[in-house]
Amino acid sequence: MPYLGTEDTVRELRRALSNPNVQSDHLRYRNTVLKVIRTMSQGVDVSGLFSEMVKACATVDIVQKKLVYVFLCSYAALNPELSLLVINTLRKDCQDPNPMVRSLALRNMTNLRLPSLVEYVEQPLTAGLRDRAACVRRVAVLGWAKLHSLQPSSEIDAAVVNELYSLLRDPDPVVMVNCLRALEEILKEEGGVAINKPITHHLLNRLKECDIWGQCEVLRILQRYQPQSEDELFDILSLLDASLVSPHPPVMAATLSLFPTLCAVSLAAVERFRAPLLAACGSASREMRFTALCHIQLLLRSLPGLMCAHYKRFFCGYAEPAYIKQRKMQVLVELVNDETVAMLLDELKGYCTDVNADTAQAAISAIGRIGRSYSDRCLEILTGLLGLKQEHITSAVVRTMRDLVWVCPQCSDTVCLGLEGCEETLQDSQGRQALLWLLGMYGERVSSAPYTLEVFIDGVRSEASLGVKMELLTATMRLFLCRPAETQDMLGRLLHYCIEEETDMCVHDQALLYYRLLHCGIEETRKVLQGRRSDPSLGVLIGRPAEPISHWAHSFNTLEPLRQSAVETESASRGSPEHVTFDPKPSTDLSDTLNCSHAEKVQTGSDSTCSADDLASSIMVPLSLSLSPALSPEEFEHLWLWRHAEQGVEKTKEEEDYVCMEEHVHCPAIPLCSPQSIQAAMQLVNIQTLAFTPPYTLPWRVYLYTHTQHTRSADTPHSTLILGELLYTGEANQKAIGDREVMVEGEQENEGEEATADGLSGREMARKDREKEGVKVTLKQQPRDDEALKGFLTILTTVLHTLSSERA
Amino acid sequence: MSASAIFVLDLKGKVLICRNYKGDVDMAEIDHFMPLLMQHEEEGLICPVLSHGNVHFMWIKHSNLYLVATTNKNSNASLVYSFLYKIVEVFTEYFKELEEESIQDNFVVVYELLDELMDFGFPQTTDSKILQEYITQEGAKLEVAKSKVPTTVTNAVSWRSEGIKYKKNEVFIDVIESINVLVNANGSVMSSDIVGSIKLKTMLSGMPELRLGLNDRVLFALTGRDKGKTVVMEDVKFHQCVRLSRFDSDRTISFIPPDGDSELMSYRINTHVKPLIWIESVIEKFSHSRVEIMVKAKGQFKKQSVANNVEVRVPVPSDADSPKFKTSTGNAKYVPEKNLVVWTIKSFPGGKEFLMRAHFCLPSVENAEVEGKPPITVKFEIPYFTVSGIQVRYMKIIEKSGYQALPWVRYITQSGDYQLRTNV
Repeated sequence: MPYLGTEDTVRELRRALSNPNVQSDHLRYRNTVLKVIRTMSQGVDVSGLFSEMVKACATVDIVQKKLVYVFLCSYAALNPELSLLVINTLRKDCQDPNPMVRSLALRNMTNLRLPSLVEYVEQPLTAGLRDRAACVRRVAVLGWAKLHSLQPSSEIDAAVVNELYSLLRDPDPVVMVNCLRALEEILKEEGGVAINKPITHHLLNRLKECDIWGQCEVLRILQRYQPQSEDELFDILSLLDASLVSPHPPVMAATLSLFPTLCAVSLAAVERFRAPLLAACGSASREMRFTALCHIQLLLRSLPGLMCAHYKRFFCGYAEPAYIKQRKMQVLVELVNDETVAMLLDELKGYCTDVNADTAQAAISAIGRIGRSYSDRCLEILTGLLGLKQEHITSAVVRTMRDLVWVCPQCSDTVCLGLEGCEETLQDSQGRQALLWLLGMYGERVSSAPYTLEVFIDGVRSEASLGVKMELLTATMRLFLCRPAETQDMLGRLLHYCIEEETDMCVHDQALLYYRLLHCGIEETRKVLQGRRSDPSLGVLIGRPAEPISHWAHSFNTLEPLRQSAVETESASRGSPEHVTFDPKPSTDLSDTLNCSHAEKVQTGSDSTCSADDLASSIMVPLSLSLSPALSPEEFEHLWLWRHAEQGVEKTKEEEDYVCMEEHVHCPAIPLCSPQSIQAAMQLVNIQTLAFTPPYTLPWRVYLYTHTQHTRSADTPHSTLILGELLYTGEANQKAIGDREVMVEGEQENEGEEATADGLSGREMARKDREKEGVKVTLKQQPRDDEALKGFLTILTTVLHTLSSERA
Repeated sequence: MSASAIFVLDLKGKVLICRNYKGDVDMAEIDHFMPLLMQHEEEGLICPVLSHGNVHFMWIKHSNLYLVATTNKNSNASLVYSFLYKIVEVFTEYFKELEEESIQDNFVVVYELLDELMDFGFPQTTDSKILQEYITQEGAKLEVAKSKVPTTVTNAVSWRSEGIKYKKNEVFIDVIESINVLVNANGSVMSSDIVGSIKLKTMLSGMPELRLGLNDRVLFALTGRDKGKTVVMEDVKFHQCVRLSRFDSDRTISFIPPDGDSELMSYRINTHVKPLIWIESVIEKFSHSRVEIMVKAKGQFKKQSVANNVEVRVPVPSDADSPKFKTSTGNAKYVPEKNLVVWTIKSFPGGKEFLMRAHFCLPSVENAEVEGKPPITVKFEIPYFTVSGIQVRYMKIIEKSGYQALPWVRYITQSGDYQLRTNV
C-alpha cells in the first residue's frame, strides 16, 4: 500500500470494502478487513468505516468475523445506533452449530458495552448458560457480570443468580471459577457470593482441577469461610497442603492468605508463611521477588523475629534492581539482633558505596536505623564514610546523623566530632540543611561552627535553596545564644541581608521575626529558640510493639502492601527532625478528656483510688512535669538497676535524697491499650515512656520517667527525677500480697503520719481486693520530694484511669 | 485479579497494541505511564507498581517492550505479574521472539490471543496447547504440541490424555542442581545454597503409574535403614501430578506423568557447600597507568569429575585499554561492551588449579564516573555429579498392558547465581 494520508487511507479502505468484486472474493475481502485492523492498530481513526464493517460482519468466514469483532468492540461506543445493526448478526451467530462461533458472538455481544443493547443480549445469555459446549458457558457466565457492570443499578434476575449458583457444579472447572467471579461482581453489594459448608467443600475438592488462576480465585473466595469445627478445620488444612507447596507463587500466596482467617489468627499459623515466602524471594522474576519482599515486611510487623535466622537470604546481589535492594535493606534493618549485627552492618557498609546513589543513601539510612539500638558500631561506620569525601555519601551520612541524634542524644559527641570539615563536600540542599541544623543545635561542641556558618553567610547571596536559607537563619540564631562573641557580627550581617535585600517573603519574615525577638531580650529568645534537642520516644528499647495480624490480614496478597511501603519510603525524605511528628491516632479525643481539671478526674476514679485520693488532697502547690533533660534508655536502665540493687542490700541505710514507692492502681483495661495511645497520653502530661512489652502479653510492663518541678515554699525551683515502672501480672492470687504493708518506704512519719495511722487497716483491706486486678506502680524518685511524688502519682493515676475507661 | 486493560508499549511508551477488558479505566490513562516511569527512574524510586490517581500500572519489561496491566482495584499483585509473564510465554511460543517487530508483524494473532487469554479481567485459557484450538490465523500456528490435546473438558487425569502410544517406552530423568554462592571480598562465604530440580521427559504409552525413589533422609529414617549418604530437602515443590498424601505419609513419590517434558519436583538445600570452583583474585589498580589482574581458579570437587565450559568473568574498569593476557590453560578474551574479561576453560578437572594474568592500561585522565564494584562471576557445568549427593534409587514403571520401560538418569551440577566480590 502506498503511503497515504489518514483521510486518503480511510477513503481507500472504504472503496475497497464496498467494492462488490472484493466482497464476492472472500480472500480479498478478508485481506481488506485485515488492512482496516492494521490501520486501526497503527493509531489511525478508522471509525468512519463502521457501517461498512458492520456489513463485513455477516460472513461465514470465522477469521474475518473475529477481525470485524475487534473493530466493532473498539468503536461501538462511538456509534451506538449503528451497533444495533450488528446485534442481528450476532444473535444469529449465537445459534450457530459451531460452539466457537457461538462463544465468539456471545463474548463480543457483551463486549460492545452499550447499555441500549442490554435487552437484546439477555436472551442469548440465558440460553448460553445452558449451552452444551463448555466454552460457551464460560463466556455466558462472565457475560452476566459484564451486563451488571454496565448497569450497576439494575437488579439481575434472581433466577439467573440461582442458575449461576447451580453452575458452580458445572463439570468444567473454568465455568465453575467464572461463576464465582461473576457472582462476586453481581452480588457485590450483598458482600459477594455466599459461601457455606457444601460450597466450600465442593470448591476445595475441585481445586486440583483448576488452573493456577482458578485456584487463586477459589482460595481468595474461601477466605470468607469460617470452619465450624476443629475437625473440619484440619480437613481443610490438609487439603490445602498441596497448594501451599505449589510451584506457582500466586497460588502459594493465596493459600497463605487463608491461614489468618481459618486458624483464628494464631501465630503458629504465621510460622508456616516463612518457607514459602522465602522461596518466593528467590524466584526468577524480579517483580515476584519484590512482591514477596513487600509481604515479608508486612509479616515482620507482627512477628519481628520470624526471619532472623535467614538474614543472609536478604543480602543483595550486584545486578539486582535498586527497588529490590532497597526493600531488602529495609528488611535487613528489622532482622538485627545481637548475633547478626556485626555481619549485617558489614554487609550494609558494602552497599554504601553502591554506584546507584539512591541505593547508597538507602544503605546509609539503614545503618542509621540500626544505630538507634547499636549506636557505637554504626557511628563508627558513618564517620568512616565521611572520610570518603563523596558528595552524595556525605550528604546522606549527615542527614542520617541528624536523624540519629534526634532519637539518641547520647550520640551527639561522636557526631559533633565527625562534622568538622564535611561542609566542603556537601553540595545538595538537603545535606546542607541537615548540617546547619546540627551546627545550630550542637554549636557549642563543634569548635569550627562559627567559621562554617560564616562561609554559608558569605555565600547567602548566591544561595538558591529556600530551605537552606531558613535553616541558616535559625542555626545562626541558636549559635548566637551559646557563642555570642563569635557569632554576633555575622548574625547582624545575615539579618541585615535577609531583611533588606532578600526577595523571598518567608526568609524575609523569618529574619524580621528573629530581629524583633532579639529586641525582647536574650532570655525570651532563648525560650523560643531552644526547644527540645531530641525525642527519645521515637527510639526503641525493647522494639516496636508487634502489630496484631488482623491489621494487615485483609490486605495480604493484594496490591496494597506494594503501595504502602512505597509511600513510607517517600515520606522518609523530609526536613528537620522537629517536623517529624509522632502522630498517634487517638490523640484528639484523648486530649479532650485529659484537659479537664484534675479534681474532676480524680472523682471519676473515686471508688477505686482512695489512696490516690488522699494523696491528691495534699497537693496544693502547683506541680509541673517536664521531659528535659532527656534520659537515654541506657541511663534509665543504669539508674533503675543501681537503685534496685542498693535497696536490696541495705534498706536501713536509706539515702536522704532518694525514695522508692509502690502503689496499686485499679485499671484492668490498661494492659490492653496500644503502646501508642499510652505513649501519646503520657506525653500530653509530659511523662516520657521508654519501653513497652507488647499488649496482651503477661507480665505487662511499661517503663517511664519524668522530671518534676515545683516551687515549694521558697522561691527556688526544686526539681526531681522520677523513674517509674508499671507492672501487670494478671494473676488473681499474687504471692506478693504478703509484703503489702510497706508500700511507701522511707520516713513516712515526717509528713504523712496522720493520714496513715488510722487509715492503714481499712486501706489494707481495700488494697487486697484491688491488687487482684491492679497495675503495680513502682516509682523511684531522686532527690526525695514527697509532695512532688504524690502529685506525680495523682497525675499518673488519672492518666491511667482515663485510658482505662476509654478502653472499656 | 481484575486487570482492567492490558497494554503492550514500545520503549518510547507508544501503544503497540492494547485490549480493554473491563472498561472501568479510561484507556487514555496509559499516556501517564511513560512520564511516571521516567520520573521515578530519575528519582531512583522505580518500582513495579506505578500509580496515577487511583489507577495503578503494574508492568514488566521484556526485550524492547513494556507489558502493562492497569487496574483501579486493590487487585492481587502477584497474580497480575504472573499473568503478564504468562503472556510473554505464550507470545514467545507463537512468535519465537517477543519484541516490537514480532508484535507488529503478528498483530492479528496478538488480538486473538489477548481475546482468549483473558475475559472481563479474568484469565481464561492460558495453556498454549488448548489455545491452539481457538486461534484461527493459519500463518502463525505453533509447531509445538504434537501430542494430543486433552480436549478441554473433564478428563480423569487433566494433565495427561488417554491413548498415547510410543513404539519404545522410555523415561529420561534429569537431576539438575544449581549452586548459588555469594563470597565476600575477604574470602568468607556469605551464603550458599543448592536449588535442585528433577525433570522428566516421558515417552510412555497409556496411563503408566510411576514411582520414584530418592535417597531422602526422612524416608530412610522412616524405614529404619541407615546406609549410605542421604539428603535433607527443603521447600520441596511437586508437579500437580504427584500424590502429596502419599508423600506425606510414607515419602513415596508416586504419580501418573504428563506426556513429554515436565518438571516433576524442585527443592532447595540450605547447607554450607564448599564453592566448587574457588577463585582467588588480586586486582591492583594503579591510577592513571595500569590495572593488573591475577586470578587463580581451583576446582574443589572430586578428581574424577570434570567441569565443562567454565567461564570466569572478571570485571575491569570501563576506561581500560590494550589488554594483555597470560593463562596457564584456556583462553581469555576482553569484552569491552560489558567491561569484562572472560576466561574460558573447556574442561576443568577436579583438584586442579589454573592461573590467569591480565594487564590493562588506564588513560592518564581519570574517568569522572563513579563505578561500582561488580563481582567476579563463574559459570560451569559438571556432569555425572550432584553436590547434595541426591540419587535416584529406583524408578518403577507400572502400566496395565505390562510393557517394559527403561528409565534413564542423568545428573548435572551447574552454576546458578555464583558471585565472588572483589576489593577493587
